[in-house]
Amino acid sequence: MRKRTLKRSLTGFWWFTLAFLYLPLAVVALFSFNASNSAARFTGFSWRWYERLLGNEEILSAFANSMVLAIVSSTVALVVGCLIGYGMYRHRHRKLGWLIVLIYLPIVLPDIVFGISEMAFFVQVHRLTGFLQPGLGTMIIAHVTFQIPFVALIVYSRFVGLDPTLFEAAKDLYATPTKRVIHFMLPTIKPALISAFFLSFTLSVDDFVISFFTAGPESATLPIYIWGAIKKGVSPEINAIATLMIAAVAIVAAISLIFSRRRQA
Amino acid sequence: MSYAGVTPSARSRAMVRESRHLLFTVAPGAIWIIIFLVLPSAYLMGVAFMTNGPYGLPEMPLSLGSFERLAGFGFLGWSPGNLYTLLRSLWQTLVSTGLVVLVAYPIAYYISTCREKWRPIMLLLVVVPSWTNQVIRTFGWMNLLAPGTPLSSLAEGLGLIAPNMGLYPSNFAVTLGLVYNFLPFMVLPLYAAFEKLDTAQVEAAQDLYASPVRAFWHAVFPQTLPGLLAGVVLVAIPAFGMYVIPELLGGGKGMMLGNLVANQFSGGANWPLGAAGAILMLIATFIGLYAMRRIGKRLGGGEEVVI
Amino acid sequence: MAFDATTSDAITTDSPPADSITADSTRTESKPMTDTLTLEAADISSTEVDEPTREASSIQMQGLHKRFGRNTVALDGVDLVIEAGEFFTLLGPSGCGKTTLLRILAGLEEADDGRLAIGGRDVTEVPPHQRSVNTVFQSYALFPHLSVRENLAFGLKMRGMPPEQREARVARIAEFIQLGDLVERRVDQLSGGQRQRIALARALVNEPDVLLLDEPLSALDAGLRSQLQVELLRVQKRLGMTFVFVTHDQDEAMVMSDRIAVLNGGVIQQVGPPREVYEHPANAFVARFMGHDNLYPINARDGDRLTTPLGVLSAEAAGEGDLLLIRPETLDLLPGEQPGDNRLPATVTERLYRGSHAEYRLEVGETTLQATLNNRGRRLPEVGDRVTVSVASEDLVTLSE
Repeated sequence: MRKRTLKRSLTGFWWFTLAFLYLPLAVVALFSFNASNSAARFTGFSWRWYERLLGNEEILSAFANSMVLAIVSSTVALVVGCLIGYGMYRHRHRKLGWLIVLIYLPIVLPDIVFGISEMAFFVQVHRLTGFLQPGLGTMIIAHVTFQIPFVALIVYSRFVGLDPTLFEAAKDLYATPTKRVIHFMLPTIKPALISAFFLSFTLSVDDFVISFFTAGPESATLPIYIWGAIKKGVSPEINAIATLMIAAVAIVAAISLIFSRRRQA
Repeated sequence: MSYAGVTPSARSRAMVRESRHLLFTVAPGAIWIIIFLVLPSAYLMGVAFMTNGPYGLPEMPLSLGSFERLAGFGFLGWSPGNLYTLLRSLWQTLVSTGLVVLVAYPIAYYISTCREKWRPIMLLLVVVPSWTNQVIRTFGWMNLLAPGTPLSSLAEGLGLIAPNMGLYPSNFAVTLGLVYNFLPFMVLPLYAAFEKLDTAQVEAAQDLYASPVRAFWHAVFPQTLPGLLAGVVLVAIPAFGMYVIPELLGGGKGMMLGNLVANQFSGGANWPLGAAGAILMLIATFIGLYAMRRIGKRLGGGEEVVI
Repeated sequence: MAFDATTSDAITTDSPPADSITADSTRTESKPMTDTLTLEAADISSTEVDEPTREASSIQMQGLHKRFGRNTVALDGVDLVIEAGEFFTLLGPSGCGKTTLLRILAGLEEADDGRLAIGGRDVTEVPPHQRSVNTVFQSYALFPHLSVRENLAFGLKMRGMPPEQREARVARIAEFIQLGDLVERRVDQLSGGQRQRIALARALVNEPDVLLLDEPLSALDAGLRSQLQVELLRVQKRLGMTFVFVTHDQDEAMVMSDRIAVLNGGVIQQVGPPREVYEHPANAFVARFMGHDNLYPINARDGDRLTTPLGVLSAEAAGEGDLLLIRPETLDLLPGEQPGDNRLPATVTERLYRGSHAEYRLEVGETTLQATLNNRGRRLPEVGDRVTVSVASEDLVTLSE
């Protein structure tokens, strides 16, 4: 009897929590279709804020910046992080404590400390040498820095999960070092590489603080643009662009769900 | 044939090859992190001990002035502003972490009791909001808590806030934002703990005449403790350094350490003071990590607790 | 010390004998393989005679040393010749160096010192992917990202064989090992025994000079194990290929091998056919490892008459050595006291009844002795019985510690 009451109240609490988690996102989505520019009352349905987005050069260029930043940084991080992940695996019997500390540093450092140290560093280097002017370049550098550990750890754990004799079997079956990479290692860790790339991409798009401090005047990304718009005074256009970003996340979530379902089957 | 006289050529050749391999794979990433993170952090720490120049940039000579400023000693004498900010950061971290535990614990338990095929979807539902950008999520709460919204009107009707004020900006809004932001970080490790819960222990406790409360306390709670601690690290450390949420939902009276630090690098322009705040944040971070490692080791969880 | 080819007649660096196939496939892995390399289908699948279908390769090892870290010596000077077409077993307890030796043959480990030749060609410094040697790994090591068919074709693909020939070869080996529809499965759909057979086929399809097997049956249950032992023997006899088999199970070694090398502490203790190793162990370690417990010091010797703690026994053609080995199955138990030559009075202290036979523990004076008696038609002595132990003088063997 008592067990059933517990289960029922937990079910209620679950739905309440889900409402709590999705309410803010739902509100943003709802008001993006608001006919008036009131943020408090829904007066009718309209596409007008979305239409305005298309004409907004600033938003379009912020979107382009976000994409370039995410794709370039994830690609660089994938290569560099994959190498480290493999190195950590191959030499796991050595004393690599310093490397582990180095790898975890970007993960444990608070965003704000990460962002301002890079900013202070870039500003000074630029002042002294003329290199590293704050802009998309410095943002890419900063993003790669926090993506490397995630890629390295994902790749490393995939390698650790493999039977070590597979490496020997590849050698034994006449694969040269290059062929071992192409026909054995890369295909074997392909799932890890894909999820590492998507995680890096998500981290990059999701990041605000580090981008904010390492950005230059011309390199605003979508989150930075939205931040500025919020600070200036809320406009319903933000609802529209935010809704599009939420929709993108929802699509990614649906795809990942389908993938995990298929893997189970 | 004595073994001592063996030529070490094969062995040393292999060692050279392995070392070159290590260098080739690990060096690019390691150098990247050293140049673009270790060096900047070291520079920032140096800045904390320098003097504030006229344009907010650090200058010689070295001094402890910025730490004095952080503690509230300015040229106008002592003022409690910065200290309040520090205490508020600690308080917000404590309260929001506690609330997150209270919400996440039953949720994680509930998911673990549901049918196996639903669990991945339920976890996904909890996690998906955190995939959207933090600024957008916080903006959502601004919309919900603004004056004139149903929630604000309700609070007004109950006499909790003054008319036409709205629920934000306020410390309450910041707490709410933090709980919202960090909930998934607590649910995931707790769920992992519940999933591998040894139910035989619970049954043994019940078999030995334990009441439900005592069975929970002696058989369930200790088993979920490593997950709980992992969650606390994942929530408390970033919460203490939070910037976006207090900036948007807190207003002037809701400022936390992250905002104090950030302001010194933008508007306020006092790098040494900001760097001193950053050092404080780092110390808090490492104390937190160290404490969790110690506790985790004692519980036998080891490395996985930190990750 | 460095290896000097001129002082050695065991290893020559001359070109390999007649079998030009071997030379091609080992020397250049990049060179595309031609069809002349493949065995004719008839050779493998349609002949019923147990006749070797190709020339096999011998293996010469000389002064192989291997050390791990500073203090662990895995191999301490191994000299060994494995004849072409032999089923050769490396037998020993774990840590004896047998797996290290196998890995050196495969090229997965490099010897610190010493020389290795396969088929007459010095391969000491040849990397594994350029050796015509294939291994069946203990964990099978099937590639999880590939189908069974792709696993089978992996080695041929790496050597650059064109796809059509590859497929023909895979089909032939699948028929030979009787894989049936297993070829169409995914690796994770296979059972342990099926994986084992795929691993065997994946190695054999390359038609290596030497096949190495690293405890390939240890993960399987007893029934499947003996079935696969028979299958392995059939494959080896039919192909006439040199097999080097590693195991810690002396029964398995005796069933399978033409010859056995017993290793301990990185040193070869004895090399010989199963009967020789079992019946005439070279030393106490080999005797104990082969399951013998009745070892007694020889205190004095007068021609063939040996004085031991059991009493005085006469051994026909007693060799050198200060230990006497009495195999339990050579003993006979006679009822009561029946004195005579090579007869000892004893008391039964323990009996383990095993159906086909019974194992006895006896006391001869202060000394214990084990005996095995076949269960046929006579009364098996009970615990407490006084008996007389009788042994033929030709069954007594001496050896040294």
